[in-house]
Amino acid sequence: MPEYLIETRGLTRRFGKQLAVDDVNLMVPEAGVYGFLGPNGAGKTTAIRMLLGLCRPNAGEVHLFGLPLAANRLSLLRRVGALVESPSLYPHLTGRENLEVTRRVLGAPPELIDPALRTTKLIKDANRRVREYSLGMRQRLGLAMALLTKPELLILDEPTNGLDPAGIHEMRDMIRRLPAEFGVTVFLSSHLLSEVEQIASHIGIIHEGRLLFQGALSELQADQQAQLTLGVNDADQALHALTAAGWSVQRRADGFLAVSAKTSEEAVRVNKLLVEQHIEVFHLSLARASLEDIFLTLTGERRAA
Amino acid sequence: MSLLRVLHAELLKLKRTLAFRVIFVAPLLVALLQFFVLWKTRQFGPEFKLWETLSKATLSVWAIFMMPLLVTLETALINGIEHSDNHWKHIFALPVRRHTVYLAKIIVVQALIAASTLILCLLSVLVGLVSMRIRPELANAGPVPFGWISKQALLVWLAAWLIISIHTWVSIRWSSFTVALGVGIGGTFFALFAASASLGKYYPWLLPLNVFTDERLVAALVLGVAGGVVAAVAGCMELARRDVA
Repeated sequence: MPEYLIETRGLTRRFGKQLAVDDVNLMVPEAGVYGFLGPNGAGKTTAIRMLLGLCRPNAGEVHLFGLPLAANRLSLLRRVGALVESPSLYPHLTGRENLEVTRRVLGAPPELIDPALRTTKLIKDANRRVREYSLGMRQRLGLAMALLTKPELLILDEPTNGLDPAGIHEMRDMIRRLPAEFGVTVFLSSHLLSEVEQIASHIGIIHEGRLLFQGALSELQADQQAQLTLGVNDADQALHALTAAGWSVQRRADGFLAVSAKTSEEAVRVNKLLVEQHIEVFHLSLARASLEDIFLTLTGERRAA
Repeated sequence: MSLLRVLHAELLKLKRTLAFRVIFVAPLLVALLQFFVLWKTRQFGPEFKLWETLSKATLSVWAIFMMPLLVTLETALINGIEHSDNHWKHIFALPVRRHTVYLAKIIVVQALIAASTLILCLLSVLVGLVSMRIRPELANAGPVPFGWISKQALLVWLAAWLIISIHTWVSIRWSSFTVALGVGIGGTFFALFAASASLGKYYPWLLPLNVFTDERLVAALVLGVAGGVVAAVAGCMELARRDVA
């Protein structure tokens, strides 16, 4: 088994003079959900089109399951399910018939249709025409199409785009369950950080065509300094005591202290030390930079550079 | 075979579509026109040959006018449903060759036009039979020339391959219905003028009519069939290279 299900090497795509995707090296490990994150227009969709062979890179190459896509397009795509942007559906056909069209093209057995409808909770509405479907149902039908042949890799481009909060929630829940239930690896793009934060195990952050970060979600968050904020009755004494115990402490303008404690265990130790020295603590909070902060820092720095 | 699978899928897409219904409507309109012409003719000359006149008139109107418009409409509708929800990105991300999809599109239109032409032939026979009833002076028109009608219909259909290929490419290349209709109406409109010109022998939209003229028959068939195949291959190669938006 190859190390990465998706691996791109120096993937580059230009539109005129503009670099839509610039030397991107994606490495998507097997299992779990990989969140491909970036603001609108960052190059996510262009990158995904290249992963599926819909458009060609100007430079670099795409490997799926360890094999080059260019030379093995058909055999590799057989193992991939995809939903790119809004789902492509025939409104004059029913949900079931829409799946049947894709099934016929793939030459897949008819028994696969019902499970796909059940997974996406469409079984009751399967015989209604797609014209009558809500946006959320259409999106789920798109997902059913991508799941039809039980792919090993699922590529979803902005799967919650345009959905209402309930629809987003439903879709997110469905995607979150997929790796465990079907053993499928999900590669999902989004411009919504909250989205990815909740379901992804690995992320890649793309901005203006360049991949700024890639790795496990925990890795990204660990990179960031968490900070302990303290409110005490005697700031001078606390500062002295903590510094003596080896913590780095800063007095903030609002009178609170910022301590270099990073984990909850460390926070407990700080609290214990203060209480033992009879310093009264009325506020203690450990704040970790959210993915949103990290993301804004990363993309903000990029913009400033 | 993947072509058969894609064709099988194409058939399902036609369900409940205008593209499917219109293959009945178009020949019905032509047949009705012929029926009214026969019905309202004041007097038939002694030399009037019902079957020869009727089938030639029906197939000519079909070849010069109704069939090219039908080709325009069918290609625009069939490929229009793929443009409407940007199905191309879905289809081409499936493990099928683009050539296969393109070829299937052409075959479906060819089949629909063939079916429609067959319906036209049956309806024109019906018109003849009904006319023999309501106009007693036509009662002795003799047996229906099935052989001649089938042969001419086949030739008309074969000569239409080129415009089917042209229209398939146009309607896949441009998502706009207007472009597809413009090419079809423009092509048909100029055909009315080109008919008498010597270049009309090679004009794609005239080829189906040219099969009725002995000196133009061979050119019409060669250009229609071989040109149709060449245009299909060229269109397919062009499509296969392009990025899918």
